[in-house]
Amino acid sequence: MRTPFLGRLAMNTSPDDALVRAAQQGDRTAFGLLYSRYSRMVHGILLSRVPYSDVDDLVQDVFLQALPRLNALREVSKFPGWLAAIARNRASDFHRRGKPHDEFSEESISEEIDPPPPCHPAPHSNAEAHAALDAILSLPETYRETLILRLVEGMTGPEIAERTGLTHGSVRVNLHRGMQQLREVLGRKAAPLTGGEL
Amino acid sequence: MPMNDDYLWDGSGTPDPEIQRLESLVAEFRHAERPLALPPETPLAPTKARGLLLQFPWLPRLAAAAVILLAAALPFFSPATRVTPPPVGPSWDVANLEGAPQIESQSLSTHQSAAKLYVGQTLTTNSSSRASLSEDDLGQIQIDPNSRVRLLQSGPNHKHLQLDVGTIHAAIWAPPGEFVVDTPSAIAVDLGCAYTLHVTPDGSGTIRTTLGWVGFHLNGRDSFIPAGAMCSTRPKVGPGTPYFEDATESFREALHAFDQAEPSTYAASTALAAILSQARAKDGLTLWHLLSRTSGDERALVYQRFASLVPPPQGITRNGILALDPHMLDLYWNALDLGDISIWRYWEQSSSTHRTPASSQLQKKVLLLKKIPSP
Repeated sequence: MRTPFLGRLAMNTSPDDALVRAAQQGDRTAFGLLYSRYSRMVHGILLSRVPYSDVDDLVQDVFLQALPRLNALREVSKFPGWLAAIARNRASDFHRRGKPHDEFSEESISEEIDPPPPCHPAPHSNAEAHAALDAILSLPETYRETLILRLVEGMTGPEIAERTGLTHGSVRVNLHRGMQQLREVLGRKAAPLTGGEL
Repeated sequence: MPMNDDYLWDGSGTPDPEIQRLESLVAEFRHAERPLALPPETPLAPTKARGLLLQFPWLPRLAAAAVILLAAALPFFSPATRVTPPPVGPSWDVANLEGAPQIESQSLSTHQSAAKLYVGQTLTTNSSSRASLSEDDLGQIQIDPNSRVRLLQSGPNHKHLQLDVGTIHAAIWAPPGEFVVDTPSAIAVDLGCAYTLHVTPDGSGTIRTTLGWVGFHLNGRDSFIPAGAMCSTRPKVGPGTPYFEDATESFREALHAFDQAEPSTYAASTALAAILSQARAKDGLTLWHLLSRTSGDERALVYQRFASLVPPPQGITRNGILALDPHMLDLYWNALDLGDISIWRYWEQSSSTHRTPASSQLQKKVLLLKKIPSP
């Protein structure tokens, strides 16, 4: 087994460019670190496009697809955007292959629903959480993805820009406009019916 | 409820209760990392030659045997008997509209049934031939005489053509941002439209949009061309400043002079003064672009004229625009009602892997993040 090129470095201090180069040279530890650093981003991108029940498997798919193609990436600094593009393409493939995306398909009903991790905040009604997620998913794709990364995955705007390869400006605009639209959607859902609407 | 943008951006400032509640609600969908199941034999890098020999010591003898066999068989593979394998992979349909267009070195006859242009192949028309390209998920592109195009890529979400010289007329129904045309002086990104793109032998070009709008991009310089407008490009410079074709002749001449002049020179200032004096409300398209192509006092003059013709929408400030705040610039663009700029931002994020380091650095320099005041 090859000695990891970056084995001595702590996860939080390894520069991503060096990780990518090391992974291109066959360092599995480096690739594992990249997975740790970027799996949240990939998860968020996929969650904005495919059913929640399929996301985790697709996250694995994305990294397994990226692995053999890593040497084709000539500019290591492009890794974040490159990986994000693979995730989006994987989501498109998912839909093109016609996998049923009804959350309440027979397959998903038969699966056990994992309980939330113990460190999770005070529990909310599951329906309420799904309603909130649905509201985000009803937004245009540009806003949807950025808001998922911010609100669901807990990434800050600068982190989103760094991980996806977007400019700070683009991310900030997406967050701002997306949140505006989300407030409108949530406001419409909360408004009670008046006599004139019946 | 007023929105605190800082908290949304990086969690700083006064927390927004609505955002906090949403974060709490949807956190259960957050990624819970599980180990990456790497296949044991998946190579992370091409196996080096030395490793190959260690693993397969009989390889050199096999290679030598293959060379001997090949040498013996060569006489049987004369050009007369050699068969060129047909191209494979993604392709677009080609129809011969007139004359004898060529795909690579093959001429299409007048009554030839639909031919294919495969990725990597070139379609050429001479002075008396025309052709059309089509693809089910894309739309249709007509190729005028004396043109040369090359199909670079044709994937599910990305279709990429190169126009070396000549004219194409595109009618695109693919989603915005999916169809891109490379020219020697700019990249044209379809944002949902029909347009004509022309490239001269020296690499300069013009684009005219007849429906929807097009983004023109090179080295961090973006121009947006809506229906009824046009824009020129120059090699090494990139897109010029767009304008509506029904602008006054003096306006168009002044704009041309401004685009050609060195920045902050007397010629540029004189041209700018003429542009501003001739501008109509509709020319807000041009004035919006000039905000980022001027600086200092000139930018202030552009803003003053722009604001007098197109009232600034809610959410922007003079100082913010003069500082080229990206959010405010986007708001102002959308106020022109020429196309939702979020479509362009989506293309930006989708194509970020295709950007050169130089263009990314240039973009970072011109993007200034300012605190957005609460409404």
